[in-house]
Amino acid sequence: MHSSRRTIAAAAAISLVVAAVVVAQEPARRTNNAPPKPSGATPRASDGHPDLTGVWNGLGDNLNGVPNQIANNGVLIESESSARDLHSGLAITVFPRNTTRALNSEEAERAAALLRRSGSNRPIYKPEYWEMVKNFDHNANEEDPSNNCMPAGVPRGGIPSYISQQPNHVMLVYPGQGGLIATQTMYRMVPLDGRQHTPLQELDGTYTGESIGRWEGDTLVIDSWGFNPNTWFDQIGGYFHGENMHVVERYRREGNTLTWTATVEDPDVLLEPWTTTPRVALLNPRANAMLPESQPCSERDLSHIVTKEHH
Amino acid sequence: MTTMIIRTFVMLAIAGTLAVQSVGAQGAADRTKVLRAAADALGMVRWSDIGSATTRLPGIDIVNTMEFQGSGTSEVAGRTFKTEYHAALGYNPLAMRVEVTRTPQDGGAAQHTIRTVRDSYAWDESQIGGGLVPGKGTATPAATAVQERLLELWTLPYGVVKAALAAGEKTVVSTEGGVSVITFPLAGPLAGVTVKATLDAKNFVTKVETRPDNPARANLATETDYSNYADRAEVLTDIKSPGRIVRRQGGRTILDIEVKGWESNNPYLVFPVPANVKAGR
Repeated sequence: MHSSRRTIAAAAAISLVVAAVVVAQEPARRTNNAPPKPSGATPRASDGHPDLTGVWNGLGDNLNGVPNQIANNGVLIESESSARDLHSGLAITVFPRNTTRALNSEEAERAAALLRRSGSNRPIYKPEYWEMVKNFDHNANEEDPSNNCMPAGVPRGGIPSYISQQPNHVMLVYPGQGGLIATQTMYRMVPLDGRQHTPLQELDGTYTGESIGRWEGDTLVIDSWGFNPNTWFDQIGGYFHGENMHVVERYRREGNTLTWTATVEDPDVLLEPWTTTPRVALLNPRANAMLPESQPCSERDLSHIVTKEHH
Repeated sequence: MTTMIIRTFVMLAIAGTLAVQSVGAQGAADRTKVLRAAADALGMVRWSDIGSATTRLPGIDIVNTMEFQGSGTSEVAGRTFKTEYHAALGYNPLAMRVEVTRTPQDGGAAQHTIRTVRDSYAWDESQIGGGLVPGKGTATPAATAVQERLLELWTLPYGVVKAALAAGEKTVVSTEGGVSVITFPLAGPLAGVTVKATLDAKNFVTKVETRPDNPARANLATETDYSNYADRAEVLTDIKSPGRIVRRQGGRTILDIEVKGWESNNPYLVFPVPANVKAGR
């Protein structure tokens, strides 16, 4: 009898230890999609400007996942009881999960599609284009130009995953990816030597346009024009543009964070300029951080898609 | 004796306070439960499980923009019209554009109207987006219509849940005839209007009644029935929308439509206020 009690007590003690180890090993889960706060000093280049050089892929902070995509589109989930729309400031009602069951893929895709489109920061097109934009987004599986391994373009590429800053130029690298935007690798070499733009009419439109950088205080401003019309300018929404699009990006490093915004002007199709919700990337802190090779982009899904659902 | 009376009084007071607190807490719990059930029935609550190995985000209200079309009949000034109804709406910003084509059943030319509201502005458009680009249609201010148009937005099933949640402790839930009833006051330009919403056994909003506290605002007294809920979006979202809408005012049916489609995937719908409307011209 005593032996039995001892066995039970020992089993209970072992269970507690095992449970404690399991809890200790489980990674801490974020219950918000708030951008990371900066930490550490901001390194300076020899010319005194902030040095943006680094691998900005966030290292396990899930910055490329849907939670961050939701933040990119202006919905900030601050905690388990608070959320707001960053553009309008409006509070959004938060509800606790009422099941521990993981969503199946269909539920997850539909939820992601809704979550990423629920923000209020939308470019205002001229009325004659409202139906076109809506239909592009509605039929994004067929219409999205990046779905066929084309470059995401500027500013849709967002924050580059790697920046190399030199005195007279910056090199920006955007690895290709599947999933949210299946697209090919893209790079940009942006001069910082004070040159002026080529007249627009003399440029052949390209996916990344003609980009010229300059410093405004500690902010790197990259001014681009000379685009072809073959990209959309945000990750969702069917936001097409014309050949006269003008994009102004702003990069600001604070410690181990990089904040990016882009303002899009296209008077041919937009009623007013539109600015993205600020996005924040986290520096990969490893001294030996590398960009992995991008997988070859080969579109294989499109012919199998039978519904209009997308995320 | 006096001490005993005081002691009894104090005990009764404490018991009363605890009872009130208990009822209050119970009321809050019921309110949370009923509103969550209504939001879940409509498919308004979502969270992300994609790319979230290190995250566990809570759910949020994901309903913002929607668009639906329907056809049926409407009644204006005693005349009945065959009616094509097309509504585009958003809750952030608060806006709605209703395009209606009415053909008199007793003969006559069709009437086409586009009535728009955004926040505290209301205007009529000669074409979709009229008045925003010079030479492309006009926008005519309709400032006195703001309340009536906002009411349409708040009395849609999603608006009811949003407004009831926003009303917080002022929202009361009760049971009538075995089904849940939600009663709450509207705010902003519609302050003074009380909404009573009835849920069915599946927690869908099936009846919405609005009552203004001032008889001078009788135009804000409405009754709307919603039925036949389903996911009607071409891009499926799991958001349920009503298949029939019947609106009454003053005992008359002013709108009765069968819904043909209801896009709920937060489609691109925008409602910029034309400069002349902002200026009140």
